[in-house]
Amino acid sequence: MSAVSHRTRLTVVPSYRIAVGRGLSILAALNIVAITLTAMGRSPVELAGLIVRSTVGSRFGIEDLALFMTPLMLTGAAVWVGIRVNLWNIGAEGQLYAGATAATAIGLFTNWPTLVALPSMIVAGMLAGAAWIFVPAAARAWLGVSEIVTSLLLNFVASLLVYYLATGPWADRVTGALASTERLHTAFPELWGAVHLGFILALATVIGLGIGLAKSRFGYETAVCGSNPQAAHYAGIGVAPRILAVLLLSGALAGLAGVFEVAGTVHRLQGGLANNYGYLGIVVALLARGSCLALIPAALLMALILDTGIVLQTTQISSSAVLAITGLLVLAIAAGDELAAYVRVNRT
Amino acid sequence: MADVSHTPNAPPRHLPAGTPPILELVNIAKYFPGVIANEHVSLNVFPGEIHALLGENGAGKSTLMNVVTGLYQPDAGEIIIDGYGTTFPAPDAAISAGIGMVHQHFRLVPRFTVAENLHLGWSETPKRLSAKDIEGRAKELSARFGLPVRPSAIVSSLSAGEQQRVEILRVLSRGARLLILDEPTAVLSPVEVDELFSGLRRFRSEGGAVIIISHKLDEIMALADRVSVLRQGRLVGTHHVADVTPDSLVTEMIGRPVALATSYPRQVPVLEVGKAELLSLQQVTVRDNAGVVRLENVSLSLRPGEILGIAGVTGNGQPELAEVLTGLKDPESGTIFLNGKAVNRADPAMFAHAGVGHVPEDRLKRALMPGLSVAENMALREYDRPPIGGKFGFSMPQARKFAQMLADKAGVKLPGTQVQIRGLSGGNQQRLVLEREIRIASHVLVASYPSRGLDIGAISAMRDMLARARDAGVAVVLMSEDLDEIFALSDRIAVLYAGRLMGIMARADADRDSIGALMSGRSLSEAA
Repeated sequence: MSAVSHRTRLTVVPSYRIAVGRGLSILAALNIVAITLTAMGRSPVELAGLIVRSTVGSRFGIEDLALFMTPLMLTGAAVWVGIRVNLWNIGAEGQLYAGATAATAIGLFTNWPTLVALPSMIVAGMLAGAAWIFVPAAARAWLGVSEIVTSLLLNFVASLLVYYLATGPWADRVTGALASTERLHTAFPELWGAVHLGFILALATVIGLGIGLAKSRFGYETAVCGSNPQAAHYAGIGVAPRILAVLLLSGALAGLAGVFEVAGTVHRLQGGLANNYGYLGIVVALLARGSCLALIPAALLMALILDTGIVLQTTQISSSAVLAITGLLVLAIAAGDELAAYVRVNRT
Repeated sequence: MADVSHTPNAPPRHLPAGTPPILELVNIAKYFPGVIANEHVSLNVFPGEIHALLGENGAGKSTLMNVVTGLYQPDAGEIIIDGYGTTFPAPDAAISAGIGMVHQHFRLVPRFTVAENLHLGWSETPKRLSAKDIEGRAKELSARFGLPVRPSAIVSSLSAGEQQRVEILRVLSRGARLLILDEPTAVLSPVEVDELFSGLRRFRSEGGAVIIISHKLDEIMALADRVSVLRQGRLVGTHHVADVTPDSLVTEMIGRPVALATSYPRQVPVLEVGKAELLSLQQVTVRDNAGVVRLENVSLSLRPGEILGIAGVTGNGQPELAEVLTGLKDPESGTIFLNGKAVNRADPAMFAHAGVGHVPEDRLKRALMPGLSVAENMALREYDRPPIGGKFGFSMPQARKFAQMLADKAGVKLPGTQVQIRGLSGGNQQRLVLEREIRIASHVLVASYPSRGLDIGAISAMRDMLARARDAGVAVVLMSEDLDEIFALSDRIAVLYAGRLMGIMARADADRDSIGALMSGRSLSEAA
């Protein structure tokens, strides 16, 4: 009858539609990037070849991807456990710093054997990450203060504290490196080139988290609290303690990212260590939607973008290109997810 | 029996013989995966007619109306408007063809004024507007259609009846000639129902057509000209209301005669009542968050194997009484005794573990997680014990099995246990909640308005369930706005008025007049 075919919105979108939608979205975003590069007088084909060669096309590139993925999987998981119950931890950046600082303290001021030092770093880092979100979490649980604002603001506090430590009391007096501590005495063992044990542990954490939440009473109770706090109260589930627990878990995951980053990849506590991993974790979590395991490919995609940015920088393209490409991609994927929910009305 | 009066194509008798229908549905079918929602549905609606649509929960009424309003596309069949075959690719096409729907849950913006709501998304809304202009226009509309509204009032401050008038006015102002109302009286007080009906009759006398979906047979008998009955997605009959009786309609709707029993005699001998007091309140007073007293000095006790009916006009303290009885709310003063022990702090988990079940008034808001699956919702009361879970674990496969078992028992056909519960009809949600709560209510069951949204077959099943629980020794509290229901089931009847208990009497000593007097706030001596 009418020229435009009509569509209706599905309430439950099958995952193959999401997959197709996202494939098309990524293609569209890449095309826009290519057009922009052409307009700048660059050859997109040449640049694409360079990017592929220096990321997935080379040993170093793949190592780099794994190193980027390690913190991204964990900050992604940190944000994801919150979103699952309607809580938004925007402070993964700060909790990552807190975890890294705790690990650094052990790495700089003890001479424990590796088998003792590494587990202690993990425990201390997770506790520090949880401690860094404790006040926002408790305020959210019992006073209803928005965790979005409070967790965000603590990022700046954490970042400045790390700058203070790295330039002040913990500054490297031996080599005189700027805004950095000495090299830690202990490191996560390297398994494959620069890829260290942290990568495997991060993978295992994400997989364990997914299975654990699906098969535990804690996972069920927090899902109820997130979906309808009134129904949780009705069923005798205390909402406030569970909000606190979920946010502390979220902080601990981000803290763990900091441990791996400082004791596995960078080996020194530096200003700017977090490298926006906390904020990019939000993107990773959003890309993963409802599934914890999907955090892994989402982190891989994000790692690819970060790597692409570095490659582009070597060809004199501004480092802000990474942010622009990330934004473009997220926008395209959000639109793709939405459009995937619409099906053409079949008329007979 | 039914077929004799089945007259699908004849206009109502007060209309001239040759009147052309405004809407004709021919052999409409709509299928969902694994479900026949509608099949072979043919129906005429004439201008100047009020046409009732009747059917059980899940009989396909809502699907059919979604087809008529352009929300769904029929998989087969034709929609004919004023003699011309049409398709409605989207709801706006149905609106411009003069079909307007008033949904059960109002689609108004609560924070906007009445005038703003009326002008939302309307092509005739002036491009530049001021509050004064649109309020003036709203006043005109209100006068033109004879539906009194206050244009400057904020919608959230209005009563349900007033909101409904705004909704109807909005539909009519867009030129609707066919008005579809889904359970319009469910949320209205009796006075508001009368106002609504006189408004609809005026609309009819001006040549408008009305389709009204209702479970309430007496309303259909009083208001409608013709009635169509759907069963399992198929049209089983269209009749002039004068040719049918409520009983024949029920038989046609359910496929067998169902009469709601007027009493539920015990199947087992009465237990020794009075000895054990499972749950009792002593001089309990409750204030809401705004500090208003909602319950005042209420004392009552629940006895095993007995149904206590709570009569009263809605909003006289019923939700607060249910909350106090189930550990959801701490009283401001007074004491709650659970199994003989005073309760210091409200703890719903403690009450649930002591065998207190609760079917709350607003099940979607309070008893269900709309965004979670049926399996997760059904597990809510038993997730902490085997087989579903334990101290730490939770098994989704077991939860799904459990949910399927509850659904089978409740007679609810599920499209799957992994679907979101918000996708089920209100009646099916209610049946599932009832089944879930009766399972854990080993001692006390507090049921607030359990028949809301249920069709007559489901109400009958629900009442049987309550009676069986009583026979098993459970103390049942039944809050209902339906006095027939209270009288049919209760052993004792209490009346709530303005938060005070006006008296508790044995069923044998109670009569409608005295209960009615208490409900309006007069004491028995005044009534006498």
